Amino acid sequence: MASDWNDIPDEEFRSIFRTWVDQNCPSHLRYMRKQRPLFNEVAVWYHALAAKGWLAPTWPRQYGGMGLSAAKHMIYVEEWGRLGCPRIPDHGIGLVGPLLIEYGSEEQKAHYLPRILSGEHVWCQGYSEPNAGSDLASLQTSAVLDGDEFVVNGQKIWTTLAHCANWIFVLVRTERDAKVRQKGITVLLLDLTSPGVRVRPIANLRGEADFCEVFFDNVRVPLKNLVGKINEGWTVAKSVLGHERIFLGAPTRPEYALERLRRLADARGAFEDPAFMSRFARLRLDLYDLGSAFERYAKVLRAGGELGAGVSALKIFTTELYQRITEEMLTVAGEEARLADDLAAGDVEIDAMNLFLDSRSPAIFGGSNEIQRNILAKAVLRLPG
Amino acid sequence: MPELMLDDPDGTLVMLRDSVTGFAARFPGAKAMRERRGRGGTMDPLIWSAMAEAGWIGLLLPEECGGAGLGLREQAVLSEALGRALIAEPTGTASVFAATLLGGASPGAERSRLAAGVASGEMVAVPAWTSGAKPVVARSVNGSIALSGETRFVDAARAATDFLVVAQDADGVMLLSVAADADGVTISERVGVDGSALATISFSDCAVPADRVLSRANRSEELLRQAILHTRLALAAELTGLASKALELTIAYTSDRVQFGKPIGSFQAIQHRLVDMWIEAEFAAAAVVNAVDSLQADDVDTAELAVLAAKARAGEAAFSICRRAVHLHGAMGYTDECDIGLYLKRAINLNAMLGQPEQLRLEFVERESGYRRGRT
Ligand SMILES: Cc1cc2nc3c(=O)[nH]c(=O)nc-3n(C[C@H](O)[C@H](O)[C@H](O)COP(=O)(O)OP(=O)(O)OC[C@H]3O[C@@H](n4cnc5c(N)ncnc54)[C@H](O)[C@@H]3O)c2cc1C
Repeated sequence: MASDWNDIPDEEFRSIFRTWVDQNCPSHLRYMRKQRPLFNEVAVWYHALAAKGWLAPTWPRQYGGMGLSAAKHMIYVEEWGRLGCPRIPDHGIGLVGPLLIEYGSEEQKAHYLPRILSGEHVWCQGYSEPNAGSDLASLQTSAVLDGDEFVVNGQKIWTTLAHCANWIFVLVRTERDAKVRQKGITVLLLDLTSPGVRVRPIANLRGEADFCEVFFDNVRVPLKNLVGKINEGWTVAKSVLGHERIFLGAPTRPEYALERLRRLADARGAFEDPAFMSRFARLRLDLYDLGSAFERYAKVLRAGGELGAGVSALKIFTTELYQRITEEMLTVAGEEARLADDLAAGDVEIDAMNLFLDSRSPAIFGGSNEIQRNILAKAVLRLPG
Repeated sequence: MPELMLDDPDGTLVMLRDSVTGFAARFPGAKAMRERRGRGGTMDPLIWSAMAEAGWIGLLLPEECGGAGLGLREQAVLSEALGRALIAEPTGTASVFAATLLGGASPGAERSRLAAGVASGEMVAVPAWTSGAKPVVARSVNGSIALSGETRFVDAARAATDFLVVAQDADGVMLLSVAADADGVTISERVGVDGSALATISFSDCAVPADRVLSRANRSEELLRQAILHTRLALAAELTGLASKALELTIAYTSDRVQFGKPIGSFQAIQHRLVDMWIEAEFAAAAVVNAVDSLQADDVDTAELAVLAAKARAGEAAFSICRRAVHLHGAMGYTDECDIGLYLKRAINLNAMLGQPEQLRLEFVERESGYRRGRT
């Protein structure tokens, strides 16, 4: 095994990674209909990656990660998508790990990181609240210090996979009177099995319960579960995404959807229709050019640079393209667009309605597209206001 | 919010709207939709018979058949109001389509029996006209009729007492009724996006008595054409109503929802989007009124163009308004608990029925100008 993955040429790394994943990711887990499988449903794959040492691509090797550079990490993510591997509950790997590695104490790293890798701790992200969505800084869930424990009260919502997680990293308000609302926010690691925690799954438009409400009623959290400094959690919370912001704009979803559209259209003879053909051509080139735009930002990362605010353009474009493709699927489906079920297309089933409904959400989460446009207006165009 | 603006000299239209509002208070649409989904798509007989009691199911049937003897103006207003109230029953098919077929069928005992039953709600006669893999063919066998073949996208099949079947025979097209529990009838259902059930019905040597024939060749083609015309109009009106209501709900939501210390509806980005949605709803309402007027004043060809335009416009508007409505509700809109998603799903179903917008627009242009769409 290489001492440093980053010393291997990109294409060689791609091939090593791809070969192993293709051999080891169970076929029944490929191209899962569920966007958000529960931990138990994909545990074999999770543990297989962990055993191989490939579960945490960006963590430094000393913590059991692969220590991949941004460039190699992109290859990892690309191949993962191309092989149709399922999404694993990845809040621990993708968010909590980097959070602790940057801001956590040595004791916290030693305690939590191995438990993420072993799957003992499954994490979820408690940021949003009923009255704090786009305006996250208005969050109200409170934590009051009582001796060497915080007492947490309040509510989180839209917490993805909280019903299969046993830990949550939460943003809480530790100071009410701060002049700037972003001050007075703190990050806590909270054991979901503590007394006073209640989790209620919420069914989404597709009838699946991917996200939940989480209620805290006098939940006691040890002081040592504080990450970084008290009242300074906003910076911590905002920084965890780092270079991974580029993946919000990855072409994965539209790529998959366009392939499904192609199969459906093929089976329905739609390519004989010049009107469809010209709409398909537009979608195809939008996807193609999204690849070029993605590459523009990927290059910056590969050169060791930092992503600017402009990367929001990718998120907007990819999520809206995903929607347009799935809307076209419903057009091609004709009267069958009335059905909730998957549609037969030759020897495969196309989950047109499932994808259409799913495509509603990425434009909302991860900073809604309006918020992304606001960011671009301010930070890139430098418009007044 | 945009609604159909039609002359209402004697107040009938206002009365219809009011009665739907009263009905919706008794049978809230969203609740009924969720319950129907829980039942696996079967329609609630209680709601349907209450609709019949209100005179809505037989609205288009002549009075001598037990109907209300009203016209398409009233139907459009009723359908619009049902759409607004999200009363997602199969009104387009099991009422408008069925009533048009029965109203124009050959006078006789069978027509009287069905028309009276449909109007009173004691019977549910569901039209079955879309060919499946094998079209439905009728053969004469010893004085009765044997049906074979398959028909698709049939609404409310489990609740039906009779199917109004369009079949091919030696002379052309025949319309006949088939008892839902007749031998040789197989129903297989799939779940619709809005929780309704859509059935494929197969007939295999299903024997139908000759007195069940409702109309023969020549007349049947015309009847079918009329039924499709009326149903498209009713669907366009229903879509307009639901689009307008979805917009109203979204204006209310964005006016209430506070982020960054203000209602999100005060942000110009959102205001402009809502204005665009309003314009779409406004145009949909205008297109439906144009179709209603044209059906009363113009020749059939002109009226058919107006109906094609109205169904295309209203379907597209409803789909697009509802999609954006969901988005403007944020994560709340992506939940099953929030009603706005039900409007979206209902809009998808009705929009895809009897022609999606593009198909209707192409048909319009072909008919108007004689241009045919080239195929490569
Ligand atoms: C599938 C899914 C999974 C999620 N998972 C998680 C999770 O695991 N953890 C977590 O903490 N959160 C999660 N979220 C929540 C997500 O972060 C929020 O939905 C998002 O921040 C938007 O907040 P909101 O839903 O309250 O919408 P709101 O903020 O109320 O926005 C409603 C609408 O108004 C628009 N809007 C808001 N402000 C402006 C403005 N200034 N200008 C113009 N338009 C504006 C928005 O774009 C949106 O269309 C998830 C959401 C979804 C849909």
